[in-house]
Amino acid sequence: MTAIDRSDPDRARPSAAEPGAAADLTTYLRLVARGDADAFDTVYDQVAATVFGIVRRVVRDPAQSEEVTQDVLLEVWRNAAKFDPGRGSATAWVMTLAHRRAVDRVRSVQKESERERRTAVADVPFDEVAEAVESSLERERVRRCLGSLTELQRESVTLAYYGGYTYSQVASLLGVPGGTIKTRMRDALIRLRDCLGVAS
Amino acid sequence: MRHTRDVHTLAGPYAMDAISPPDRARFDRHLARCEDCAREIASLREATARLAAAAAVSPPPALKARVMAAAAATRQRPPGPEPEPALGTWPLRTWPLRTRPLRTQPFRTRPLRTRQGRPTPSRRLVMAASAVAAAAAVAAAVVFGVSSGGMRDQLSQAQARSQQVAAVLTARDATMMTGAVRGGGTVTIVMSHSMRELVFTAAALHALPASRGYELWLIGPAGDRAVIMLPPARHGMTGPVVASGLRPGDHLALTAEPASGAAHPAGRPTTPMMLDVVL
Repeated sequence: MTAIDRSDPDRARPSAAEPGAAADLTTYLRLVARGDADAFDTVYDQVAATVFGIVRRVVRDPAQSEEVTQDVLLEVWRNAAKFDPGRGSATAWVMTLAHRRAVDRVRSVQKESERERRTAVADVPFDEVAEAVESSLERERVRRCLGSLTELQRESVTLAYYGGYTYSQVASLLGVPGGTIKTRMRDALIRLRDCLGVAS
Repeated sequence: MRHTRDVHTLAGPYAMDAISPPDRARFDRHLARCEDCAREIASLREATARLAAAAAVSPPPALKARVMAAAAATRQRPPGPEPEPALGTWPLRTWPLRTRPLRTQPFRTRPLRTRQGRPTPSRRLVMAASAVAAAAAVAAAVVFGVSSGGMRDQLSQAQARSQQVAAVLTARDATMMTGAVRGGGTVTIVMSHSMRELVFTAAALHALPASRGYELWLIGPAGDRAVIMLPPARHGMTGPVVASGLRPGDHLALTAEPASGAAHPAGRPTTPMMLDVVL
């Protein structure tokens, strides 16, 4: 087992949302890639809530969300060696994985439950973001940046990212041409990126 | 270039997985050629990761123990690109099978002829037309990940496996069969009767949660034998895995089981047989 320096407790277990978390997560992922179970324990603590949160938001069913979360974390364990820091942050790598798995799950069962999901998501796009979140700086910042988007941009992002819809489904939900939605999604993410001060 | 510009408008949907599989594949090809686009996607994904962070909710505490236990039982993948990409996709195009053309045939229930029987027409395995389950001929045996007990390193395993795969594919009596799997996906089998081995691959199998996996079985007069838990799909492709020790009358069955494997497919009567191939 590879040991790591945990003498500084603030470094050892930062929350994923805090500055410095990404660098730490990268370090821990490198250890995980070498089979370090202790490091994986730490990675779990850092990302599990975010993974579970986004998976549950997309999948909705709690039991399935746990399954998908477990899948995602196992994939992190299995594929840690494939994480390339040159192509984005560790947090983004894990969240991309999580969101894609969640979306895959939803789409694999979408036919039978299309109607319920459509209702559920269409009812709750933006306010849910504002409400479900606890009062943390990060959530407040995201909420504020979402609020800075145009209504169409915000709805596009909310339905696509939190609702798990494809852009063409979003287009038909909102009654807007697909080409317009594609463009709005990109514009919205660029604005969010700049608003959130994400380093690229 | 209009085409490129069209594709690039998918950047937003792509970064949020709000995209159909064909569009995703198109955009992946686009990204491979466009450094700037790859950088843009990376930066947009930093933003979507923040959207995820804003949704954080603590999972049930019991989940952690399950994940840690599952990880302890899960082999990690080596760094770098996926090994053996030629085998990750179905290798018919790259292996020198031309010495004897493969015949693609429907599966049928026919006993496997061994030494005493001339395997002429009976070698053709025919798929039971019951469209739900594909039937093909086969039996399988122990595959590497299982038999080597983790003693060999990943590379030599891959090499040994690819040699074994190549041996079957290039066998003079190699016969190819394809069929549909109930629940989704297709299976392709190349079998050598003389070697009593087959190579099994599957495409687009219905995705299972990590707690479950597909298990390959040999079921026949010689008894029921678990062949292997199939590895997770890569790019939609599963396998190849090799099954050896085929015996007359064997069926090859594919079932969804707990990831740790089941002792006996019959012990789980509720498990649907995804595939039943008869030799």
